[in-house]
Amino acid sequence: MSFYLQGVFLFKILSLLLLSILSLRGDENYQLGEGIQIETLPIYLGGYISLEYDKSEMKDRYSFDDIAILSYGNYEKYSYLIELEYKELYVKSKYHNTKATVTKNYQLYTERVYIDYNYNENYMLRIGKYNSNIGFWNIMPINILRETSSTPLSNSILFPTFTTGLSLSYLYYLSSAEIKIDTMIQNNSDLDAEYNNYQIDKHYGIGLSYSKDDFTFKINSGLFHKKNSKVDNNLLYYYLLSNKYETESFQLLSEFGQQYSSNKLTTEYAGYIQGSYHFTEHHSTILRVESYNTYKTIQSTQENFMIVAYTYRPIYPIALKSEYQIHSNDDLNKLLLSFSVLF
Amino acid sequence: MKIFIKLLFIYLCFVPFLLSDEYVVISNRNLQTISKSQIKAIFLKKITIINDTKVIPISLGTKDPIRTKFEKKILKMSFIRLKNYWTKQHYLGHRPPISMQSQESIKKFVQKVQGAIGYINAKKLDKSVKEIYRWRD
Repeated sequence: MSFYLQGVFLFKILSLLLLSILSLRGDENYQLGEGIQIETLPIYLGGYISLEYDKSEMKDRYSFDDIAILSYGNYEKYSYLIELEYKELYVKSKYHNTKATVTKNYQLYTERVYIDYNYNENYMLRIGKYNSNIGFWNIMPINILRETSSTPLSNSILFPTFTTGLSLSYLYYLSSAEIKIDTMIQNNSDLDAEYNNYQIDKHYGIGLSYSKDDFTFKINSGLFHKKNSKVDNNLLYYYLLSNKYETESFQLLSEFGQQYSSNKLTTEYAGYIQGSYHFTEHHSTILRVESYNTYKTIQSTQENFMIVAYTYRPIYPIALKSEYQIHSNDDLNKLLLSFSVLF
Repeated sequence: MKIFIKLLFIYLCFVPFLLSDEYVVISNRNLQTISKSQIKAIFLKKITIINDTKVIPISLGTKDPIRTKFEKKILKMSFIRLKNYWTKQHYLGHRPPISMQSQESIKKFVQKVQGAIGYINAKKLDKSVKEIYRWRD
């Protein structure tokens, strides 16, 4: 009975979302993936959903991973963005030789909320909770916008994925290139702390990026303090080097970094290199190789793995993705399937 | 005869150049001079303010051939790649430039609105707007 009720609940949510999307598709001014404007106000609404299936030797897992609503707008030199999200709203897992378990999480999280002030063509100040402006993957992390269903582990190992505080950016244009400097400052608790990969109360970071034609190079460095850490001065330092080369049909992306505390190396290295080939507008293949070696527990954890993926996008804001992960530890090999929509 | 062949060769080399159209990126007369990379940044909404003035990029309709030429020459992006770019920007809270269906509308808008910037065929250029970049097919 309970499974029946859960099914009805999910069906209702999916139906509502699909009906909303379909009704918006009927509006000739609406384009999927670009949100809607509220009347003639400078306010826009949008969102995204994603569903995932994960199968490995150990378990089968179905999840309604994300349902998020976005609102943003701008007025004169100010703009704002709010993103609220249900994370892992419904998860059904079945481990080997055990009964399936279902977990539901009805908590609505604040994923991002910030106000930007564009001082002039060079300087921009941001206040609020935002994706830490580190590397490439972390600033575009949602399922629909990334190339694969999974996210590189280096992103969750090396630095806090969210920062709650201030950010100051400086953008400068040379004749044919672009230079950007980003700073991040947090000296307070996280907003919706449990949602962050590290629960922090301090984060100072700086990044420099250089873009010319199809190539972008970025270097980030910073330090952060884990909240409730038993050692007050236990700061963790990180740096990340990232490269992106992108043409009409091909993208090469790599991010590598290290993390250490004042007295020891906590992650010797973590990173990935990923190539994506879009052989038509709708079909792409992706190959990613990841590697990391961390000392976060008493023993070091070292792993190398490869991800082979295929993505079909009937239109860009709708993605059907499949990937197979081949790990150095065979037990971790898994298949991931996902469906995601940006509206 | 040799001179004739040489002249014919030179003429044939220049024919495509002479027949190709010229286009201009235009702005309101109050906007300062800006570089090609800044024009690109404005149309990708990376720059929204210049000298305390809000900049308003205006595109031609999606099927207009001048728009395709502009996106290829200045933005260096295909229509599909640009559409994907704007889908990603939606997640970051940015909208694509507004579009107008004719070069005349763009010229009038640019003439009247401070910070407006657009592109038209160079034949339609007059002193009511400021030329900030010129390119040929």
